[in-house]
Amino acid sequence: MSTLLSPVVLFFALGLVVALLRSPMSVPQSFAKGLAIYLMMAIGLKGGVEMSKTALDGQVFAVFGAATILSFGLPFIAYAALRFTSGLSKTDAAATAGHYGSISIVTFVAAIEALRMAGVPSSGYLVAVAAIMETPAIISALWLAMRGSKAKSAEEASRDRGELAREVLLNASIVVLLGALVIGAVAGEDGFERLSPFFVAPFQGVLCLFMLDMGLNAGRGLRRGWRKLGVAPIAFGLYMPLIGASIGALCGMLIGMPAGDMALLMVLSASASYIAVPAAMRLALPESDPSVYLTLSLGITFPFNIAVGIPLYIAVATMMAG
Amino acid sequence: MTELHTKLRLELIIESPALRRAEDVLKDCGVTGWTVVPGLSGFGGSTRWSRGTDISESTDMVVVICIGDADVLEPALERLHTMLARRIGVLNVSDVRVLRPGLF
Repeated sequence: MSTLLSPVVLFFALGLVVALLRSPMSVPQSFAKGLAIYLMMAIGLKGGVEMSKTALDGQVFAVFGAATILSFGLPFIAYAALRFTSGLSKTDAAATAGHYGSISIVTFVAAIEALRMAGVPSSGYLVAVAAIMETPAIISALWLAMRGSKAKSAEEASRDRGELAREVLLNASIVVLLGALVIGAVAGEDGFERLSPFFVAPFQGVLCLFMLDMGLNAGRGLRRGWRKLGVAPIAFGLYMPLIGASIGALCGMLIGMPAGDMALLMVLSASASYIAVPAAMRLALPESDPSVYLTLSLGITFPFNIAVGIPLYIAVATMMAG
Repeated sequence: MTELHTKLRLELIIESPALRRAEDVLKDCGVTGWTVVPGLSGFGGSTRWSRGTDISESTDMVVVICIGDADVLEPALERLHTMLARRIGVLNVSDVRVLRPGLF
């Protein structure tokens, strides 16, 4: 209940409600982009500092491996679920599935805050896990969409690959997260101490501001897109995070992760991308309908994870590993 | 009276992720200059869109404007038309009159 009534969730709810009521209020796009970069830098730096204090052991590499397999594998489950239940086209189902194998960094940040509030410790290296899970899902989605399709010319395929590789490997999330993680690890506690007035004290306030914008985005996406979606795709947006979280929990249990880390792996497996993957899908699968996957990931799954998912995943992880 | 010269004006409204590809087509066809302006909002395919409401910016639209001679722009037009077969976008051409033909 305390998670639901935290300012972060309440500001998200405020944005969602006013957007559904058609308020003209908006957060300037460049400002929101700056906020997103700030949040990724802050968690990357903190994660890097934490990583500098602990050795990378076999368990950490097992988690990296599990994360890669999850990101590659979850789109196949999502694709099968969508094709069997929703009647979405092969391309739309594959594009949407790609979003559910990748991650939402804002959900991850909100989960870290929820864990902090609940007093459950988590490890810094999970930031690297988040970065690892961004990309493999895109490859799975493209394979699902393109199998059986007519092959492109060699020149066209090579140009597409170059452009897509740049988009998926050098997008802001990966560059900032991994860059800040390395900088945090190199700078260590002493170096981070000097940055803490900028990255620690204002973090909560900036997160609230960003969540207000996310609420507005989610509400507007939902208002515009829900008519295009039937009951089955909307239900998918609610049950797919639970499937992802369950598989994440299973992996966490097999590896023997502590409760906080397992909860974060569940959150990453349950969340759906709405920054990196949509851009990649517009490049690689332009026939896919953005109103389907953006509405599902941002309008349905993101609010679900913020309001219901995160507290649920923390409770389950604490019960399983605590 | 100032002399005016007839040229072709190509206007392409396209989703921003495809901008680079469209620019590559123009460059390959020998177009020497163009301008890109952001689309603010619009409606099409039963969907209303507006800049600044999609955090991924993947559904933002941009307008590419270029002016040139028909022998340069027509091949570009054909390739852009092929490109648009799979994408969201609008392409149109019109005759315009310019003051400084040497610029195009």
